[in-house]
Amino acid sequence: MNVVTNNTEQCQQALNALLEVIDPEIGLNVVDLGLIYQVDFDDQEKKIFCTMTLTTQFCPMGDSITQAAEEVLHSTFPNYHIALELSFNPPWNAQMISPEGREFLNER
Amino acid sequence: MVTGPGNMGLSSTTSYKVVIPFYIYAALSFFVACILLVISIPGFTTNYFQPNTLAITHTMALGWGTMIILGASHQLVPVMIENKLYSNFLAWCSFIFAAIGIPLLIYGFLVFNMGWPAQWGAHFIVSAIIVYCINLAISMAKSKHENVHAFFVLTATLWLLATTIIGLLLVYNFTKPFLSENSITYLPMHAHIGIVGWFLLLVMGVGSRLIPMFLISKYHHTKKLWWIYVCINAGLIIFIADFIYLQISWLYLLTYALIVMAILLFANFCYHAYKERIRKKVDEPMKVSLLSVIMMLLPLLFLCIIIILLLSQSTENIALIISYGFIIFFGWITAIILGMTFKTLPFIVWNKVYHHLAGKQKTPNPKDLFNITLFKWMAIFYILGFIIFLLGVFMNQYFILQTGAVFLLVTSILYNLNVFKLLTHKPTKE
Repeated sequence: MNVVTNNTEQCQQALNALLEVIDPEIGLNVVDLGLIYQVDFDDQEKKIFCTMTLTTQFCPMGDSITQAAEEVLHSTFPNYHIALELSFNPPWNAQMISPEGREFLNER
Repeated sequence: MVTGPGNMGLSSTTSYKVVIPFYIYAALSFFVACILLVISIPGFTTNYFQPNTLAITHTMALGWGTMIILGASHQLVPVMIENKLYSNFLAWCSFIFAAIGIPLLIYGFLVFNMGWPAQWGAHFIVSAIIVYCINLAISMAKSKHENVHAFFVLTATLWLLATTIIGLLLVYNFTKPFLSENSITYLPMHAHIGIVGWFLLLVMGVGSRLIPMFLISKYHHTKKLWWIYVCINAGLIIFIADFIYLQISWLYLLTYALIVMAILLFANFCYHAYKERIRKKVDEPMKVSLLSVIMMLLPLLFLCIIIILLLSQSTENIALIISYGFIIFFGWITAIILGMTFKTLPFIVWNKVYHHLAGKQKTPNPKDLFNITLFKWMAIFYILGFIIFLLGVFMNQYFILQTGAVFLLVTSILYNLNVFKLLTHKPTKE
C-alpha cells in the first residue's frame, strides 16, 4: 500500500476503518482498490486530511463512496475534524490495485 | 465534524429523475414492438415496405434503442467528457418531445397516414434531438478534457439529427412530393445513417469506454479508436455522396469495406480489453453485452450477400433484407440494451435509494437489486426467439415465425418485470 502519511500508526487505524468502504460496482474496498492517496493527522488541531480519488472522474457512485469514507473515519476518530479531498492527479489506473485486491478480483 | 470533498459527487451526476423516464419508456416500447411483431406475422415475408414493418422498425429504433441510449447517455456523458451535464431541464424537454413524437409517428405508419400524426410526430422527434444536441454540445464545450469517446458521442448525435431531419422530409414527401424521387427510394440512406452513424458510432464510442471500465482492463488504445472513428465516418460520407450524386456501384463496396474494418477493429479492441482484464469473472449482463459485439458481424454477412446479389443479378432477396433489419434491431441493438440496462440502471436506483445510507449501514450491491434468475430466463427466451424467428424468415413458415415472435414477446415481458422490480426497490432495513 503506497499511502502517504505523517503518522504511520494512526494511518493504519484509518486504513483499517476504510476497508469497510466498498466500491459498489467492483465490490472491493477503497484501500485495496488504491483509491486512498494520503492520510495525514494534525493532532494539535485535531484534523485528519484524507486525499483520495475515484476510478473515474464524475463517477456516478463517487459521492456515495466519499460520503462513506468520511463516515467511517468520523466514527473511528470521533474527536477529529475530517477534511476529505478528491484528487485526480495522478488519475487512478488498474495498476494501483493492491496484490490482495487483484487476488480478490481474480476469484470473483 | 466533516468537511466534504466539494461538488465532485452526486451533485455533479445527472438526476435520476431525468434518466429513469427514458428507461421506462424504452422498456414499454420494447413490449409494444414485440406485440406488433406477433400480430404482424401474416404478410411479414412478402414485402419489407409495409405499414406494420415500418411501425415495428421505428418503435425499435426510436422508442426502444434511441430512448434508452438518450437516457443512459445523460448519465454516462459526464463520465465520458469529465464534466457535468449542462442542463437537466433540457434533458427533460428532450424526453417530453420524443415521448410525444414517437407514438404519433408510429400511429401514422400503422394506419399509413402520412398526414398530421406522422408529420407532427416527426417534428417533435426532430425537436427532441435538437434539444439533446444543444445540451450535449454545451456540456462538451464546458469540459476541459477532450477525448476520443466524446467525439464519437457528439458525431453520432449529429448523424442522428441528420437522419431524423431526412425522416421528417420523407414524411412530407409522401403527401406533397418535392424531392426528385419518391420517399421509398431514400429509405436505405435514411436507415443507414441511423444504423451506422447513430447506433454503431455511439455504441462503439460508449462501449470502448465502458467495456474496459466494467472489466477493469489495463487495455487502452486511443489510436485504434480514432481509426474506427475515421473508417465509419468516411464510409458513411462516401455512401451518402454515392447514393445522392455519384451512383457508382463499386463505391458501395468501398463503404462496406470501411465499415467492416471499423467493426473488426472494434471487435479486436474488445477482445484485448477482455484478455487484459483484472476482474476475471464476467457477470451475466456483461456476457450479453459482449455477445452483442459478436452480433455486429452477422448483419455484415447479410449485407455482403445482399450487395453481391444486387450487383450481380440486380434482384432483391426479400428474406435477406428482412433478416438484415431484424438482426440489427432485434439482434445487435436489443442484445446491447438487454445487457447494459442491468449494468447501468441498478446504479441509478442504488444512488436514489441508498446514497444517504452510504457508510452508515450495510447496503446491498447494485447488482443485487434485480432478479438474476429472471435475467437468465430472459436471456434464454431472447436467444431462442431470435434464432427461431430468423429461421422462420428464411423458411417462410408462419408457425415458426409466430413461435419466434412469442418468445421475443416473453423476453420483453421478463425484461419489463425486472426493470420494474428494480425501479420499485425499497431500502432493506438493517
